[in-house]
Amino acid sequence: MFKAISFAACLLATSVAFAHDESKLEQMPPEGPYVQVSDVLPLPAFLPGLGTLFVNPDTLPAGPFLGYDHDGKLSATIYMTPLEELKNGVTYDDLGVGLHKVTSVDVYYNAGHPGVDKPHAHIVLYHDAGAEERLAK
Amino acid sequence: MIMTRRELLIAAGGALLAVNMPVLASGQPHVLIEMQGTARGERVWFDPFGVAVKPGTTLKFLNRDSGNSHTVTAYHPALFERARRIPKEAEPFNSGYLLPDDSFELTLTIPGVYDYYCLPHERAAMVGRIVVGKPSDKGWDDSAIKAGNVEDNVEAAFPSVKDILTSGKIRTPRLT
Repeated sequence: MFKAISFAACLLATSVAFAHDESKLEQMPPEGPYVQVSDVLPLPAFLPGLGTLFVNPDTLPAGPFLGYDHDGKLSATIYMTPLEELKNGVTYDDLGVGLHKVTSVDVYYNAGHPGVDKPHAHIVLYHDAGAEERLAK
Repeated sequence: MIMTRRELLIAAGGALLAVNMPVLASGQPHVLIEMQGTARGERVWFDPFGVAVKPGTTLKFLNRDSGNSHTVTAYHPALFERARRIPKEAEPFNSGYLLPDDSFELTLTIPGVYDYYCLPHERAAMVGRIVVGKPSDKGWDDSAIKAGNVEDNVEAAFPSVKDILTSGKIRTPRLT
């Protein structure tokens, strides 16, 4: 019995570790190693369609980028994958996600911007039904 | 007086310029070039991307793209070691990054052809060409036309000097 409880406790601890603590990311600003994109690159603080972005610089260019709405609520997780690199066989595996609940996903082309100046795809995971509207402007 | 076709084109361009020239707060005439992009950043462009101006005209570049930053950067060895595509006697120019609603003013006096690009968007062929004066002007330098050293899609994006002189300005079709 004791063994069974210990095993279950270990499993629970392991799953929590893999899941990461979502509560630390839900409100802006997330803790380090995330940095606000507009603090390190010449971009507007709030990007229409993406929100206020934070990223761990070690994960560039793919991200995840965390997109917060005007109230500082985590609303989307975004990945940016250069098309040329994908074509050349680069893969982006096991990428993190801001929140585990995803209600819809948009994928579209972007011609480039400071930080990711090669043409690339934006993959946007929205975390609730109203997220896209809140991030729009 | 009989004008050659070339002279006629130049005269027509000058007439168009005189009609379409706004005025800066200082009272100086200027030409406005907007930096624009689609909402999701699929397309980015200068509008107009080809203009003809008289020597000494001030050009104002204004970032109208709410979701991106842009630059106005001359092709010149002093700037990112690029091949020169402005008159040899002209000073190279670089606006630095312009955030939404930021602007940059530039006054060009040496007659000739000036090619410029947006630093983070050259791969997307966000480039433009300014023609200052006319080919008969003293010191005219159009070496930009044959300078090369850009990707094929970028070279193809520059409007011809002839078209610019004919119409005065070449607009970019608004994309959505």
